[in-house]
Amino acid sequence: MEESKKKKKKKKFTVRFEPSGLKIKVPAGTVLLEAAHKTGIYLSSICGGDGYCGKCKVIINEGQFKSKPTALLTPDETRENVVLACQTKILSDMTITVPKSHTLETSQILMDTDAQRFSELAGEVREGIFEFDPLVRKIFVEMSPPTVHDHTADHERLYLAIREQIDAPIMQTGFRVLQKLPKLLQSCDYKVTVTIGRRGETTEVIEVEAGNHHERNFAVAVDLGTTTVVAHLTDLTKVATIDTEATYNSQINFGEDYIRRIIYAEENDAFDEMQNRIVHDVNNLIVTLATRQKIDLQEITTVIFAGNTAMIHFLLNLDPTRIRREPYIASAGFVPPIRAAEAGIQINKRGLLYCLPSVAAYVGSDIVAGVLTTRIFTKKGISLFADIGTNGEVVLGNQDWLVCASSSAGPAFEGSGVKHGMRAGAGAIEKLTILDDGSFELKIIGNTHPVGICGSGLLDTLAELFINGIIDRTGRFNPNGQPRLTEGDEGWQFQIAPAGNEHQEIVITQADINNLVRSKAGVFAAIRVLMESTQTKLEDLDAVYLAGGFGNFLNVRQAVTIGMLPDVPLEKIQFVGNTSIAGAKTVMLSRKALKAAEKIAKSMTYFDLMSHQGYMEEFTKANFLPHTDLSLFPSVKSVKCKT
Amino acid sequence: MPVPEVAERFTGSVNRLTLGATKDDGGTRTSTVTVGGARNVVYGGSAADTGEKAVIAMDVLDSKPEDWPDVLLEPYKNVLDSPGDWAKMCVEEFGADLICVKFDGIHPDKNDKDAAHAVKVTEEVLKAVGVPLVLWGCGYDEKDNQVMPKVSGAAKGEKCLIGTVTEDNYKSLTAIAVADGHYLITHAPLDINIAKQINILASDMGFPLERIVTFQATGALGYGIEYAYSIQERQRIAALTGDKMMAMPVICDVGYESWRAKEAKLTDAPGWGDPADRGPTWETATAICLLQAGVDIIRMRHPRAVATVKNFINKVWT
Repeated sequence: MEESKKKKKKKKFTVRFEPSGLKIKVPAGTVLLEAAHKTGIYLSSICGGDGYCGKCKVIINEGQFKSKPTALLTPDETRENVVLACQTKILSDMTITVPKSHTLETSQILMDTDAQRFSELAGEVREGIFEFDPLVRKIFVEMSPPTVHDHTADHERLYLAIREQIDAPIMQTGFRVLQKLPKLLQSCDYKVTVTIGRRGETTEVIEVEAGNHHERNFAVAVDLGTTTVVAHLTDLTKVATIDTEATYNSQINFGEDYIRRIIYAEENDAFDEMQNRIVHDVNNLIVTLATRQKIDLQEITTVIFAGNTAMIHFLLNLDPTRIRREPYIASAGFVPPIRAAEAGIQINKRGLLYCLPSVAAYVGSDIVAGVLTTRIFTKKGISLFADIGTNGEVVLGNQDWLVCASSSAGPAFEGSGVKHGMRAGAGAIEKLTILDDGSFELKIIGNTHPVGICGSGLLDTLAELFINGIIDRTGRFNPNGQPRLTEGDEGWQFQIAPAGNEHQEIVITQADINNLVRSKAGVFAAIRVLMESTQTKLEDLDAVYLAGGFGNFLNVRQAVTIGMLPDVPLEKIQFVGNTSIAGAKTVMLSRKALKAAEKIAKSMTYFDLMSHQGYMEEFTKANFLPHTDLSLFPSVKSVKCKT
Repeated sequence: MPVPEVAERFTGSVNRLTLGATKDDGGTRTSTVTVGGARNVVYGGSAADTGEKAVIAMDVLDSKPEDWPDVLLEPYKNVLDSPGDWAKMCVEEFGADLICVKFDGIHPDKNDKDAAHAVKVTEEVLKAVGVPLVLWGCGYDEKDNQVMPKVSGAAKGEKCLIGTVTEDNYKSLTAIAVADGHYLITHAPLDINIAKQINILASDMGFPLERIVTFQATGALGYGIEYAYSIQERQRIAALTGDKMMAMPVICDVGYESWRAKEAKLTDAPGWGDPADRGPTWETATAICLLQAGVDIIRMRHPRAVATVKNFINKVWT
């Protein structure tokens, strides 16, 4: 009996996933979500496998399985053998179909126009706003070989030659470089390419190679997002972005927000796995970029990261547990440069890894990068910066002061927690307009059939439904005479696009709208708290910057209409896209910019909203379209709900 | 040296509105009630700033109450089955300024009575008394949406105060109240911002702001009265500082809330004093406290409490 049990346990089954055709052998009883994820197949899951988000639906074509009952599947779906992968155990060989909505093709998230904008922003360095002085550079050094009259040692000879070209008062050399130096210099007649890297005030001789290769120096900047990881390959001598690539953060299987991931890692002692995943994602991006551009990984000498504090901790396997617990501190806000190889990042084995400094446990280096990129810290007038990600971070200030706050806005505008939400990729509805005759005009990324709605499309949806009186100021549907409004399993839902031959119907539900309204309310309440605390009036705002991965296109007017951003003249509002990576690139190209980033991080005052007395009240006021205090939104006043 | 004038002045005021339509006005009421008009906080400013006297709306239930303590049933014991007689008694014997018909009996968990019953009660009370009416649903959205529009229709043109509408359920009753020429009670759960939001929502539907009375929810003495007090006070100050969305007169439900308190209804508590006095005293104390915060209409139940509070109002608002 015991033995047969054991034998049964050891039995392995083959699971085949369509349409990719990927296969895996797993022990009987393995959870389907885990099997998919071991196979490298991405299935969306917000709850991290707890069975309450209902996102990991797959279709079972054949095979025995056991599923826990769930209310998240319609009777139709159950008939068609749709299951939640996280609630299903494998009991035989199986064939599974992964629906298209899960499909993750990294190239889909590429944002060409964003990439273009980023290159322009990195142009700041070319324009001399921050002088060109990359953190890691290669210089070609020609020394005269030693003679009886000039008996300076090789190592000191190299230092002298380097100092002729760059300012480097304090220098150091690695032992391995030192050991190979004499033979190398003699072999190439004292003509070498030196890779030098800045580590604070110290300049390190990272590598010495024979001959002149100083024009082959590349770097990768990475925006380490909770949901998306974006990498830009940069030519450090030409100061140009050569190529960009993005992928989903594969930690997503452990929860869609980082707090959940910290809990998971703590409960399962999975910090190493967390690090492995993110390092793997980054390496994949680097290899993809390098291969596509025919660059040798050894020629990439720098990798630089900007991201929220928790993600940086996961990357370096620093203890992140106190981020979510009192006293809410990070293990390190200013991470010193380290050898990239020490973190497992595959670039030149002696190449350096930098992280932009962060402000606090909940305000990461991505926000510092945003302040750097928008240059609000250099301006006399007051600017507002809001970065809408999984959290909504807000910065207010000028050249004299900076305050910041982080609201748990939730990932609704990233497409998470919204029934048909998705990230900006092929098939995402990125723009929506309701015409006078009540028909809908949709713009879909890649001009294909609609798959879902991305951030900018969700913003449009909310604003258009509101100004057309389809929802009232609380976000509730007005059921009167709306042919597109039907009652679904989760209450009222509104059809955005009808089903077609190749795609399902796209709807927005009452719950989606509530999430979006709450999300914008969190951001605006944070803005209000910062403005009130600093006695900043609306007319004091010189500029408003909106950042985030909404997509390529964003109608800033709509952000005001729904009351996410203050009602300032539209020309003052600018959508700046992903400022996290733009800031990372600027720092990579200029030591001055790194110093500026450090200054920004040190000087920013953090407001903790959770312990702030007025925040909840501001939140309730903002939980209305556009706001309970209509006088704050004079330009939206004319909007009337139809009865 | 003369004492300097230090009285605080405000730019705004509480809306003044007149409930009830007399024959000249197209209704059948023999008297009307005007509330609101304050241009200062209670006891603040000159006598002219005080505005209208606060008024008392006495509760009449559409069907015999099942959970009232004996002390409260006693005065009405002969009229409990007849809302018309009950209302008449409140007006003629106890001096009610208004009658509030509370349709508890339509609640599905209580008697689940239908619209025809509610209409009949409305007509009966309209016939029995000449004072203006408050028509108050059972609080169960679905049922109120079925019944209250019919009640509104039955009292069409009488300029009643009808309610309540909440953020979750305001559309049907608001629409019908506009059509039938009534005044509307907007209801928020002790949240000043939600109170304002529901006023905006009603206004978005074309309901005139000057015909709205707000109900912020009430807490009795010992049961959250401080929340009710401070919200009432905040609303008054908002009105005085010119917030049109918050310039409405206020109604509070002292009768129901005070008599829910165990201190009011418990009989077996010798150390607490005579139950015959305790309940009315609890109701009186709650009402008088909220009057200081600037309440315009108070719903009450016990005749002795009503008498004491009326006396108080007459002395303060001279």
